Amino acid sequence: MVRSTRPIAIVALVALLVMTACSGTATPGASSGTLAPGTTITVMSLWGGSEQEAFQKVLDAFKTKTGVTANFESQRTNYSTILQTRISGGNPPDVAIIPGIGFLRQFARQNSLKKISDLGIDLNAIKGNYPPGILEIGQVDGTQYGIMVKFNSKSTMWYRPDRFKTAGVSPATDFTGFVKLLGDIKAKGIPPMGLGASDSWTLTDWFENIYAKQAGPEKYDQLFSGKLAWTDASVATAVDTMKQAIKEDFVAGGITAALGRSFTDGIGQAFAANGTAAMYYEGGFVGDIATKQTNTALKVGESIDWFDFPAVGSGKAVTIGGDVIAAFTTKPGVKEFLNYMTTADSGAVWAGTGAIISPIKSVPASAYPNDLAKREAAQVANASAVRFDGSDLLPSGGGDQLGAALQTAIQNKTVDWAAFETQMQTKWKAEK
Amino acid sequence: MGLAPTPLAPAGEFPARAGLTAARAARGPEKPKWGTTILFLAPAGVLLLVFLIYPAIYTVLLSFNRGRNGIFNEWVGLDNYARLFADPDFLNFSTFPPSGALWNNVLWLVLYVSIVIFFGLILAVVAARVRYEAVLKAIVFIPMAISATALAVIWKFVYSPDNIGLLNAILGGVGIAPVAWLGDQGIVNFALIAVGIWGSVGFATVILSAAVKSIPAEVIESARVEGANERQIFFRMILPMVSLPVSVLAVTLVVNVIKLFDLIFVMTGGGPGTASQVIAFTMYQQAFGAGQWGYGAAVAVVMLVLLTPVMIFNVRRFRAGSVT
Repeated sequence: MVRSTRPIAIVALVALLVMTACSGTATPGASSGTLAPGTTITVMSLWGGSEQEAFQKVLDAFKTKTGVTANFESQRTNYSTILQTRISGGNPPDVAIIPGIGFLRQFARQNSLKKISDLGIDLNAIKGNYPPGILEIGQVDGTQYGIMVKFNSKSTMWYRPDRFKTAGVSPATDFTGFVKLLGDIKAKGIPPMGLGASDSWTLTDWFENIYAKQAGPEKYDQLFSGKLAWTDASVATAVDTMKQAIKEDFVAGGITAALGRSFTDGIGQAFAANGTAAMYYEGGFVGDIATKQTNTALKVGESIDWFDFPAVGSGKAVTIGGDVIAAFTTKPGVKEFLNYMTTADSGAVWAGTGAIISPIKSVPASAYPNDLAKREAAQVANASAVRFDGSDLLPSGGGDQLGAALQTAIQNKTVDWAAFETQMQTKWKAEK
Repeated sequence: MGLAPTPLAPAGEFPARAGLTAARAARGPEKPKWGTTILFLAPAGVLLLVFLIYPAIYTVLLSFNRGRNGIFNEWVGLDNYARLFADPDFLNFSTFPPSGALWNNVLWLVLYVSIVIFFGLILAVVAARVRYEAVLKAIVFIPMAISATALAVIWKFVYSPDNIGLLNAILGGVGIAPVAWLGDQGIVNFALIAVGIWGSVGFATVILSAAVKSIPAEVIESARVEGANERQIFFRMILPMVSLPVSVLAVTLVVNVIKLFDLIFVMTGGGPGTASQVIAFTMYQQAFGAGQWGYGAAVAVVMLVLLTPVMIFNVRRFRAGSVT
């Protein structure tokens, strides 16, 4: 019995040491006055590869300016799960880039995030840096928790100018013209468009584009905030419109094969060396992926370009997707970093890498390294209405469910929107 | 599915040997040595307490709580359970066939367990009669040596669409349009179950093969002499004589199904939509992904409740000392 107490004592000692070690790093400091040299914060995001390198340039510029080291932590897979687990374990990163507003709400409502005002950042002072509607994206229940730092247009229809020339067609401006365009290309023996629908978010992007234009931005806001039921006729109408384009005849390889194809393979159908399709729809980021990963031989204007997602009726609303930055601690350096991310300085550095479009107004068009990005920034800046990616606004899991419903729809099966509405309402309730 | 058999032995218990007990009894009542007893029980006891009993109690309590961030912040009573059984993603009888995570587990339970035992039994009986038995058994057993994650990745390739995957290439070869095995809500569960079966038949074959071999040759011989045909021998002799190993195997497979996670996680992530979710996946997703720890804990408790009768059955078998 006497001997058996010794291991317990050791265990207790180790536990004590671990606990003190942990609590030592978690000491929150007031962010005031000048920063001690060697101040370090951690910034977590899911970027890797070229995206990470681009962001690192911003972090380096931040260090040059303030002397604060921002260590980048890349978490490529299961991002929200790992973030949630670290928060629950009392070890969150100081700052995280949060993809999707659903997650921002989740973390804000569980009181894990620091309010922007609690960091000592004056919202009124930064308001002028953004076009209307951008800061609101980072609000949860009326309180500012996050600030949008980058985005992409999701209303870009990518195409092959060379194949358009072969087929003797030109880009369409409205949906009726677009459906005719698809038919014309098909008639020339060219597969009209690629589709990678196993990544079902590509379908939700299709739907959102059409819905925002067809039903209008107001209904869009209601639908994606749980205030308008999915049984509303506008939903079925938008899905029917979508199915005029996404159908067996127009999708290279057919619908069934598309259901098992990933987003990047869909890009490949149009832009890979052995691709044959004339078009591929997805956001502005397709340009970077296609020219840097899929096929480095692509030439902008000759073998890759984009036109505006066709208007539906008179509706021309543009949809965007993007990330917000938010803080989990008030450590010294965090306030400075978030402040820096709202300046044209950081926006210009980041935009210069060609990886992103900056939401900051005063980032000049000349900051963008190529024409594709320049036009993308201009498309959003000049849009009559801009709406954030709706599936990212839905509660956790809602976007996947919408994607699955749309997968069902493009197979010409009936979607039970009443059941879908019940599922969504369950999710909205659970979030509160 | 951890495809490896799950040892379900209750730690710290050993079946008493009758002889030893008798000898002890003959020596007369002995003063119980509490110190020694506790010393021997302590390591297992402490481990059980820390890693099993404490978390189990914590989970049950958490399931009555909103449990934001895994701490007890708001008592909600049976709210999580009410929500769980009203959640169409968990169990949905309004459609036909029914759907939801729990229903998918039922599908797995019925198809996976029965087909694995069926093939296992057939292969065990056939293997015993052919000359290249060792080779046959080795081939069938190989999937057991692959981790479930690797197995899932392999089958993801096989199921890949667009004629890249083996299966669709074969279909394409005979002129059938490719099938989105993992992309179709109506097919995905069966495609996954097929993978599970492929991964577990080897295990069943080996267990049942040993059982079939343990049937005394004389019994079968004499049945033949008495004029029984092969069918009668299989159904009237072999089957009853291996019923015990079969039931043990069934229990193991049932446990596999209830804790099923990795295959789903790697192959479909519960998708398309929520079509291939199972309860263990729902628990993970709700607790770790959506941060709904209380809700996730409620799912875990449902799992615990489902597993308990299986455990009781297994422990009884173990106590009876009649396991293979």
